[in-house]
Amino acid sequence: MKYFYTKSEQIQSIIKGLNLTKTLFVSSIIIGPEYTGKKSLAQSIFPHAPMVSGEDQEKIKTALAGSDELIITNFEKIKNLNDLDFTNKRIIATANYMGNSALIDDIFAFIYTMPPLIQRKEDVDYLKERYIEEAKSILMIENSTIDTEHIPLDLSLNTKSLKRSVYTYLIKHTMEAGDIEEILYHYLLKHLEGNDAYRQYLGLYEKPLIKAGLEKFGSQLKLSEILGINRNTLRKKIHEHNIDQEL
Amino acid sequence: MDINFEPFVEWDNSPFVLFNNEGRILYLNHSAELLFGSVSPKELYDLTLAYASAGFGYKTTSLALSYDAFMFHAITVGYENEEEISLRLYHAPAVQPKSKLQTESLIVTDINVLLEANIALFQAENNNPLKLLTDQDLPLFKMDQNHFSKLLRKVFHSFRSSDSIDISLKLLIGQHILINNKKESLAGLKITANGRYVESDEEIKELAGKNQIKAILKEHSILLEIPLIQ
Repeated sequence: MKYFYTKSEQIQSIIKGLNLTKTLFVSSIIIGPEYTGKKSLAQSIFPHAPMVSGEDQEKIKTALAGSDELIITNFEKIKNLNDLDFTNKRIIATANYMGNSALIDDIFAFIYTMPPLIQRKEDVDYLKERYIEEAKSILMIENSTIDTEHIPLDLSLNTKSLKRSVYTYLIKHTMEAGDIEEILYHYLLKHLEGNDAYRQYLGLYEKPLIKAGLEKFGSQLKLSEILGINRNTLRKKIHEHNIDQEL
Repeated sequence: MDINFEPFVEWDNSPFVLFNNEGRILYLNHSAELLFGSVSPKELYDLTLAYASAGFGYKTTSLALSYDAFMFHAITVGYENEEEISLRLYHAPAVQPKSKLQTESLIVTDINVLLEANIALFQAENNNPLKLLTDQDLPLFKMDQNHFSKLLRKVFHSFRSSDSIDISLKLLIGQHILINNKKESLAGLKITANGRYVESDEEIKELAGKNQIKAILKEHSILLEIPLIQ
């Protein structure tokens, strides 16, 4: 059976409520933004319930005829609700938004709200660690010196964007020179054109070079020595790439 | 012929109260005793004075009165001297439910499970402290689980901003209701707090009616008298 991990008190109350309705024939709905775990939560509590999407009305009708218990995802996409009879059935629906609130209020006995990840800090920490482990295994990363403390996390699309943040961070931080060359090669192959391309695309290399150098060595004087270029040339390039404004 | 009419008044189903000229109760029958659980003597004395005839005599007035579950359609106020005045209230006939309850489609349920699920739903959205006193020995009974849960959701929602909510569920000993010519026991679910929202009161009454439940809605509390349909 799938286990739904959460430290959120709000979700723990939802789990308690749904667990109590396991033996009842009532309709419940979990409403919340995309990728907040609504479907996983429903499946973890009702592992044997068939699951159908609100996009396929006929499938819902068939499932209702054959089962007393049903998970309906994307409930907001059902076109004709009057066509469906939930009497004495155990329905667990999920929806990304409320839609017709009067109708939802009429159909469902239990209306739960799933909070977005941004309101569930402890869940974010747990999911981040899980995705790091998963990414390391899938990408076959053995390097344990990567700083995973400071991964910039994007929660705009909940678990989806969080997962993407972790994967892209780990990929970026485990690349070798050959990988970077290959990436640049494919990028340039796709975009290279115009009549000033040399100067234009040189920035792809120059800009990170100078930015990293300044951060690592602190002063322009020291960096110009390390890079073996004139201080004025370095200053000109810093200005040209707007690095002084970014730092 | 000397007939003692007092026992007839005592056991009359209509409440009867005799006040003195300061509003003190000199006599009340059995039915009035029950009524005083829902209304103060002062309120009834004021009502008596307001509807008394101009001179000595008896005056009956038709008016709609309701005190909690008690509903009256008329009163008679009478006085024959300056010292005593009487009030008699006439019960309004109970409204018959419009539709016959289809008990065959109802499911035998443990109300405590439904109640706890609704408390969990309430707590997922609110942090108000709750106190629950419930009778775990209430018998299982038949209900439409979805309708009943909806009713509970609406009832709880009306307490969403209340502090220290008290919930009690118990058997109403000695009280019964006739449903489809069968005598059923009643349980009382009472939720009390320092105040509540009233915007869903009509909906609560309607949902309660569909479940053959009597809803008594007050400023600080809601009482549901639930038939334990067997």
